[in-house]
Amino acid sequence: MSGQTTTALAPAVWALARREFVRFIRQPQRVIGSLGQPLLFWVFLGAGFTPSFNPPGMEGMTYLEYFYPGVLMMMILFASIFSTITVIEDRDQGFLQGVLVAPVPRMAIVLGKVFGGASIALFQAFILLIAAPFLDTPLPLASLPLLVAAMVLTAVGYTALGFSIAWSMRSTAGFHAIMMVFLMPLWLLSGALFPVAGAPMWLQVVMAINPVAHAMTLLRGPFYATPAELLTTPAYLTGLAVVVVWVALGLWVSAVRVGAREKGAATA
Amino acid sequence: MIIIRNLTHVYAGTRRQKARTALHDLTLEIPERSFCILSGPNGSGKSTLFRILCGLATPTGGSVTVGGHDLFAEPAAVRRLMGVVFQSPAVDKQLSIIENLRLHAELHGLRGAAFQERADEALAWTDIKARLGDRVDTLSGGLARQVELAKCLLTRPTVLLLDEPTTGLDPASRRAFLGALHRLQRERAMTVLMTSHVFSEAEDADSVAIMQDGRLLAHDTPAALKAQLGQEVVVVRPRSPAVMLDALRRDFDRPVLVHGDELRIEDVPPAEAVVLVEQILTRYRGDVLSIAIKQPDLDDVFVHVTGRTGAVPQTTPKDQKPEDFKPEDQEMRA
Repeated sequence: MSGQTTTALAPAVWALARREFVRFIRQPQRVIGSLGQPLLFWVFLGAGFTPSFNPPGMEGMTYLEYFYPGVLMMMILFASIFSTITVIEDRDQGFLQGVLVAPVPRMAIVLGKVFGGASIALFQAFILLIAAPFLDTPLPLASLPLLVAAMVLTAVGYTALGFSIAWSMRSTAGFHAIMMVFLMPLWLLSGALFPVAGAPMWLQVVMAINPVAHAMTLLRGPFYATPAELLTTPAYLTGLAVVVVWVALGLWVSAVRVGAREKGAATA
Repeated sequence: MIIIRNLTHVYAGTRRQKARTALHDLTLEIPERSFCILSGPNGSGKSTLFRILCGLATPTGGSVTVGGHDLFAEPAAVRRLMGVVFQSPAVDKQLSIIENLRLHAELHGLRGAAFQERADEALAWTDIKARLGDRVDTLSGGLARQVELAKCLLTRPTVLLLDEPTTGLDPASRRAFLGALHRLQRERAMTVLMTSHVFSEAEDADSVAIMQDGRLLAHDTPAALKAQLGQEVVVVRPRSPAVMLDALRRDFDRPVLVHGDELRIEDVPPAEAVVLVEQILTRYRGDVLSIAIKQPDLDDVFVHVTGRTGAVPQTTPKDQKPEDFKPEDQEMRA
């Protein structure tokens, strides 16, 4: 037995993340559901809104095309957040307590779940990415790495956020409620569905402080610009900074929550 | 070895519920390589103590040392020594047996050949060797328990904690599990602390600790505990415990204990027990539902120990909830 008291971070993270992915693949209905929903959204909304979609400065763009990065975002959001529901199930079924009493760094418990969940989300998003070359404005190949980086960052950010919310929740029903009133609006007001430019003033303010809107900038940018252009655009760089801070904050809060042990109250 | 000193745990009150003290200044020592059963009625604080011992909660006050490490200052060091079997199995039911074992091993930094060797060793005593590729949710309750225990043994723990591991098992699986557990404890020289509310499970243990209302009432070998009760016990189940209690106390010059709807007269010499039963039946035949003479077993020890501190209630004992501390109790112990 090794002399250290805790197991190294990486092997523990790998073991836990692998478990997440294996569980996902073994539930075909989860795979079908998470792939099918955004795809249907995209095709139906895209086809339905295209005739009436004519925002200033975007002449000639079909809604199907405008909505594509939004659907990517939606897929990553839903798959990432839903994958953290398993935190509640793990606790409920007893698996989690077994991990908590193992000599692993608390951050490994967070990263195992976060990377596992993010990889599930990315697995689905990459399948949708196959459609990218067939859009009216194809994705410039040079920008692909930036797009992938944006997807990875967003997926990790969402799963970390989902993890920190799910950690103290005791029922999946409660988690769904939070999801609908908190996370869904974040996506609706991110510029995924409609552009910021045409929105009323108050909505523009909300969208400016919404971190998901900044992630949307990262995700949409690579479709229309080269890396050189993007990396000199202030909006893109601001978005990048916001998302990086979001990821770091999410992971840190999660690790603090996992590390906190239930404490006895002061003597009555 | 596990040393628990002056452990107190208070659950904070909420608007609807008053703060509740689950552990009162509990001190308990479990010597190295011994098998200790921790017993007590529901709500006695066993589960709270268990959660603290496995590091999931920190107490209001007191200290715990496991294998020389302070549990609260060096939790990681203690986690490395310890194996924990929870009441609800901490296995992933959607993974196969071998996947569960591998995952647990990796969390402890064991991989490759080292894992294989440990897995063979940990599985040697089980009945699941032929089903390693099966998902855990296809196993019976007894076999799932074996997976859980095998998983814990992988890391060669020196201290093993088990929380009511036989809950939900049929009697045959229960016996098989306990038999294996006792054998493994001896072979591997582990210190074992197991909570249980089934007292028949405690007969083979090195020591039995009995808790009630967050306090330790007794901790001794099963033989010594049974010796406290002396010779034989006469157990009467009357129609009306209150009326019969008065009658027995008046008629016979012996202490009578109340436990639930039973009255107990302990430490009766064998020759007198039959006579006593005869006398009770002659006088109160109509009021007695059943009457028996028993050799004291650990169930009786439990009744004796917990009944004595419960300050014999004069009415039906239904109103005696674990949360209710009678002032005279506290003084008795002070």
